[in-house]
Amino acid sequence: MPLLQHICQIFYDSHFGTMIRESNNVFPIIETIHVLSITLLFGTIAVLDLRMLGLLLRPISVARVARNVLPLTWSGFAVSFVSGFLLFWAEAAKNYPNPAFRAKMLLLLLAGLNPLIFHTGVYRRVTEWETLRLSPWRARAAAIASLLLWSGVIVAGRAIAYF
Amino acid sequence: MSLHALFMALAHSPLGHAMQASKWDFALVEMVHLLALAILGGSVLIVDLRLLGVILKGESAFLIGRDLSRMLLGSLAVMVVSGIALLSEEAGKCYYSPAFRWKIALLAAAVTFYFTLHRRALLHTGADAPNLWSRIAAIISLTLWLGVGVAGRAIGLL
Repeated sequence: MPLLQHICQIFYDSHFGTMIRESNNVFPIIETIHVLSITLLFGTIAVLDLRMLGLLLRPISVARVARNVLPLTWSGFAVSFVSGFLLFWAEAAKNYPNPAFRAKMLLLLLAGLNPLIFHTGVYRRVTEWETLRLSPWRARAAAIASLLLWSGVIVAGRAIAYF
Repeated sequence: MSLHALFMALAHSPLGHAMQASKWDFALVEMVHLLALAILGGSVLIVDLRLLGVILKGESAFLIGRDLSRMLLGSLAVMVVSGIALLSEEAGKCYYSPAFRWKIALLAAAVTFYFTLHRRALLHTGADAPNLWSRIAAIISLTLWLGVGVAGRAIGLL
């Protein structure tokens, strides 16, 4: 058995994982929290992305929008990560072979890599372009990548239940 | 035509048949519904947090409200259209579902509030610091929209 599959099986068989899986209410409640926190994550990062694409809040500088929006995005990420991990804990052995789950993990990795490149790259010189109505192409590319990748994460996440 | 007859007509429409017949048609519409939900939720939150004075304090609440209204109304339109398609899959069941009835009532309240008192709070606040009324408007708005989401989630569970 591959190592990852083995680890998934340990999570799945654990007392805690079984408890979440077999309870009537715990799983749907965690699921609801997961969906709401994803809304917080994606809905707020989308505002920053759309600002860089010059579609809204143009009179407000990009850095100011980022400073105000990113703490919300991070909170959403933290809650969706924890709630998502609990859902995984309960279903790990079923998730492991699920193509939608694998796609989601891959997209999540790419969605996480994108801000890493953005913040160590073009965003370091944000003071030079923050007041432009339309951000430089590197920032616009990061914005489009962010919108597409997070959309992909949501779509793949919803698809997990269908496999 | 009674409301019940309308729901049954929707369930037996070509749209209803398509949604009932194909698992993936339903899944696809659900995904669109969920994506629009995230966009709607984000725009509601940003505007209401400005009214509460949590974020973007120095910026005009009116400008933020106006700009984000495109995001909000655009995603709301997508949610209504995709929501009708989802409804057509089991309209007969939804008609009697308390969660569905709550959702529609809360949605009507949220949209009405958004176009009336909430809009007034945004206009009134302008670039000023939040006041009691803007804070109350924000809390009512957040509660109503959150209620729509939670009731919506409950449709599939109850």
